[in-house]
Amino acid sequence: MDKSNNHPYEELLAAYSAGSLPLSQALCISAHLEHCQSCGQKLQQLNHVGSELMLQLKPSKVSDELKTRLLGMLDSLPEDLPDGESREVDSRVPRCLHQFVERNYDDLDWKRVSADIHSVELCRDSNGARVELLKIKPGGSATTHTHMGDEYTVILEGSFSDESGLYGQGDFLIRDENDQHTPVATQDRECICLAVTEGPIQFTGFLHRLLNPFIRRGYA
Amino acid sequence: MPLMANTTAKSDKLAHLSACIVRVAENRDKAAFAELFDHYAPLIRAYSLAREPGADLVADDLVQEVLARVWLKAAKYNARLANLNTWIFTLARNCRIDYLRRNSRYATEIDPTDIFNEIEDEGPGPFQMVQQSRVQQNIRVGLEQLPKEQSEILTKVYLEGKSHQQTSEELKLPLGTVKSRVRLALKKLEVLVPR
Repeated sequence: MDKSNNHPYEELLAAYSAGSLPLSQALCISAHLEHCQSCGQKLQQLNHVGSELMLQLKPSKVSDELKTRLLGMLDSLPEDLPDGESREVDSRVPRCLHQFVERNYDDLDWKRVSADIHSVELCRDSNGARVELLKIKPGGSATTHTHMGDEYTVILEGSFSDESGLYGQGDFLIRDENDQHTPVATQDRECICLAVTEGPIQFTGFLHRLLNPFIRRGYA
Repeated sequence: MPLMANTTAKSDKLAHLSACIVRVAENRDKAAFAELFDHYAPLIRAYSLAREPGADLVADDLVQEVLARVWLKAAKYNARLANLNTWIFTLARNCRIDYLRRNSRYATEIDPTDIFNEIEDEGPGPFQMVQQSRVQQNIRVGLEQLPKEQSEILTKVYLEGKSHQQTSEELKLPLGTVKSRVRLALKKLEVLVPR
């Protein structure tokens, strides 16, 4: 079950457990967790840490009125939502992305970025981070680029390699602004990644450097 | 109270509360629910106030929201997957994230519902369960022994809901120091096992 070899740092997993992580980053952690049992176990323990810390708080007195009101409401509370969703989403799509994907990845409004790459922006986070999916064709490559801020990537389908190694499904990667890298998808199949970028991407090739002021989209 | 006696009292209390949640789930027992309310409501209220000191109305709302979920979801609680305290913590955390987002502290389209799955439908397999209670015991005892500089940071992150960046600004510490203190603390709590 443990397919991935690249995991989020523990302090990031702890921030996820604490609920103090920006939602865009939490999305990446959640996508990774679907493929990673060992991080899932670690998360359980981190949740225990949170619960023990909560138990150490000095209890704050709750009014009798609140208790009476809630007890009086119990029978009229709306039933809990049913477990299953009515819509059938492709099992390849992680649950945390169901909010953006109607049925499967093909439904999305992919935009051509280059001969090798298509992308679709899913949303923005409150901190300005851009959440998108990238699709690299088999053997395709993304131009060498660096970023202004951190870039979080989770591989959802296929695999790619860059200067630092080979990455497969479920792998969780963070590249910071000092990393230059050129991801290349493996030949056997296309690669789909969830990518969260905190700032605009900077291209480092000569031509791209000239184009940089005009390109805000990234991954040309 | 000596540490051991204290620990025994805590686990007796937890066993009693766990019996209450079963009565709520199976018999819709309001008296059992009232006991859960009496124990958890003041803690949930304190949890809310830790993030927003002085925001009493917000704290009352969170209490009501979390305990309503306890009532509605009681049947889904699975003691094999997490102890009751931890289940309630994750409910409170999820409600707090939801609340902050709805009240536009987070101006984002991202819906947290599917990101923070509730413990009901995932968790370790049965063979890890044996270790669970020992792990929790280690965490409880470990927290009491952490150096202040480490526990202070866990409090910021978990209870006050601060990001590492905010924690670093508030404590006037480099970001790297904040992260490494979190790691050190988790190591002491034996949460981190070598992969």
